[in-house]
Amino acid sequence: MRAKNKASGSTAGAEFLDKNAGQRRQLLKSSVALGGLATGLGAATSSLAASTAPEKLITEVQDWNRYLGPGVDAKPYGQPSVHEADAVRRDVAWLTADAKSSVNFTPLHKLDGIITPNGLCFERHHGGVADISPADHRLMINGLVKTPLIFTMEDISRFPRENHVYFLECAANTGMEWRGAQLNGCQFTHGMVHNVMYTGVRLRDVLAEAGVSPKGKWILPEGGDAAHMTRSIPMEKAMDDCLIAFKMNGEALRPEQGYPLRLVVPGWEGNMWVKWLRRIEVGDQPWHQREETSKYTDLLADGQARRFTWTMDVKSVITNPSPQAPITHGQGQTVLSGLAWSGHGRIKRVDVSIDGGRHWHTARLDGESLNKSVHRFYYEFNWQGQELFLQSRAIDESRNLQPTKDALRAARGENSIYHNNGIQTWHVRADGSAENVEVS
Amino acid sequence: MRIVAVANASLKRQFIDRSLPVVLSVIVFFHTHPTYAQDLGAGATVFKQCTSCHAIGPNAKNQFGPHLNGVMQRAAGSAENYAYSEAFENSIDTESVWDTAKLDAFLQAPMSYMPGTKMAYQGLSNADDRASVIAYLASIDSSGQLPEPAATKPEKTSQTSDGQQRSLARDIPIPEHGLLHLGRPALDAEVIAWDIDIRPDGVGLPSGSGDVITGGELYDEQCASCHGVFGEGEGRWPILAGGQDSLVDDRPEKTIGSYWPYLSTVYDYIRRAMPFGNARSLSDDDVYALTAYLLYLNDLVDEEFELSDQNFTDIRLPNENNFMSDTRDEEPTHQIVGEPCMQNCLPGIVKVINRAQILNVTPDAEEASDAPTVD
Repeated sequence: MRAKNKASGSTAGAEFLDKNAGQRRQLLKSSVALGGLATGLGAATSSLAASTAPEKLITEVQDWNRYLGPGVDAKPYGQPSVHEADAVRRDVAWLTADAKSSVNFTPLHKLDGIITPNGLCFERHHGGVADISPADHRLMINGLVKTPLIFTMEDISRFPRENHVYFLECAANTGMEWRGAQLNGCQFTHGMVHNVMYTGVRLRDVLAEAGVSPKGKWILPEGGDAAHMTRSIPMEKAMDDCLIAFKMNGEALRPEQGYPLRLVVPGWEGNMWVKWLRRIEVGDQPWHQREETSKYTDLLADGQARRFTWTMDVKSVITNPSPQAPITHGQGQTVLSGLAWSGHGRIKRVDVSIDGGRHWHTARLDGESLNKSVHRFYYEFNWQGQELFLQSRAIDESRNLQPTKDALRAARGENSIYHNNGIQTWHVRADGSAENVEVS
Repeated sequence: MRIVAVANASLKRQFIDRSLPVVLSVIVFFHTHPTYAQDLGAGATVFKQCTSCHAIGPNAKNQFGPHLNGVMQRAAGSAENYAYSEAFENSIDTESVWDTAKLDAFLQAPMSYMPGTKMAYQGLSNADDRASVIAYLASIDSSGQLPEPAATKPEKTSQTSDGQQRSLARDIPIPEHGLLHLGRPALDAEVIAWDIDIRPDGVGLPSGSGDVITGGELYDEQCASCHGVFGEGEGRWPILAGGQDSLVDDRPEKTIGSYWPYLSTVYDYIRRAMPFGNARSLSDDDVYALTAYLLYLNDLVDEEFELSDQNFTDIRLPNENNFMSDTRDEEPTHQIVGEPCMQNCLPGIVKVINRAQILNVTPDAEEASDAPTVD
């Protein structure tokens, strides 16, 4: 066994996994009352409580204790551990006709804290990922301005910069759940949200350079991709807190997030955060583009539809436990965790229920509480092995309370697609596995 | 300076008067003579307004217009994989190379020289600009190697730590516009090239027209494979026609005829993003014709109909008045009254009324669980 394990480098990791799995199997046989879903390292360590044999991981010298690992620069751009291979974005193939105009989902159940790693931020494109050299990128300001202007990336970098952490949520996040529980995992039900720190310049400064006419009441940002994405945004928002960003979490925007330039529209639906931003037109009326008429309008039960529903309402979801992250450690001390956010500002409070809304407990908000950023909450409790019906409800600083899904359906019907911020329920069974359900 | 100017002027006349071999010999001359290299610099400056549609350089690809590497040495209309307009194919002898005179005439007014060209650009009225940009294009071979930059006066540059030669900062002029004086004024041709949006009141519509019959032919060729022959949508591709009076149904069909509020959105979106994978390839008249055909597929016009910038705003879509502004804050769910309930908030024992595994649509979902249910 030891001789076989003398491999070094990346293969050692794979063998470690196999070996560890073997040990888990042993432990499972010799212990009692273990969850049936022993996945990941958590299962192996928590099983120790029931084990009487000394653990070989401790009593034997392991390969990684003995042999040298790779040196510096083995990976000039670092990557996650090979043991985190399932912390990836995933798509739902049947949702869209073609991957070039599609969406995938952030693995919320694999993350903690409030910052989404750049490589895990969900993607939504309407014409594939544009490949634009920053040297070839231009930003045009035209329309009702004194001097129509062209900026290079270097020009943009010369405006005063700001750094802000903001959530970006697709208006259609949770849109598959209007008619009832459908997708089994918070990645799929709630994964069209991410939260990163943007570095950029104030949109109002860039507009001021061109000199906005007093008649200018709206802007139309446009992307340089093959979809030429456009949305109408009222001037009031443009002059308030919008940014033109070129960095996310300190490094250049990822291509799939609009490299080299994207619009940041804090608290408003993600479709408006135009990627590959190449032009901003100033006008006196909205343009009624495809993504604000045919799409991103909210059809109500009476056949009327709301348009310009920009703000993302207060929302929360429990990320752990959840269908993709079952409880594997058995009864006892249990950490429940989740995310809450609101386009109206900061989250003031999150309540958690483990019995389907009969009783509520105020969760612990932890980490930074930032304006229009996701907030991390925790609720630690002693699980006695009973079935759980986990729910969370968030309240923001404007005293907006996250509604139930039934209340939303009563107000809007089932065909709105967008802006579903209803309370999510996870059913945790006695074996720790979890499912997306709705309860009475 | 005067001598340089005269030399340039006589060279330009040569470009216009003589044929390609002369142009090429002049290029060799340019490469070895710094004074004339500056004339190429003028051409490079003029060419900047062409770069929104045309690429040059080692990595140049076809954009809205064909790449122009070696354009003066290749057969007209021979850029690989570029879909030239019908007008181009019909009016240019594609066996021969561009000569200076033809190119000069074309660049003066592309749309009059070749009605129907994709090159929707009003032209270079200044003869010197045309001559310099033609000289510049002639200097670029098929590999896209750009001419060497003009030799600059030594006192204007400094040697820097990264080995790059740069102008002294104080010699770079500061623009006059704005507060921070950043960016540069946009040229009309640049704004025209990018500003393609259309509003419901017709602002932005290009002049032109197209009829249902023409639109039907284009639709069958370019659209039906995804959107279906009758606009019914293949697979999960968008449905474009039908669905009238379905908005209150259990499964509404949101089409141009049943849902979209404005026709301008149809024109705008086709022109900016369709056909999927070949955006900006349709002429303005093509887009009028397709828009007319989509009206026809939705039973809103008859097959004799022709749509143009003149009658465009007369057409109203049936669902225009069913849109309202955001009224979410009037919903009961948006009102918080006092503290939310914390204890004994719902009666009875919790019951599952709906579960994801009934649908079993999650990626990699296993067979529906046989776990005990509590409903």
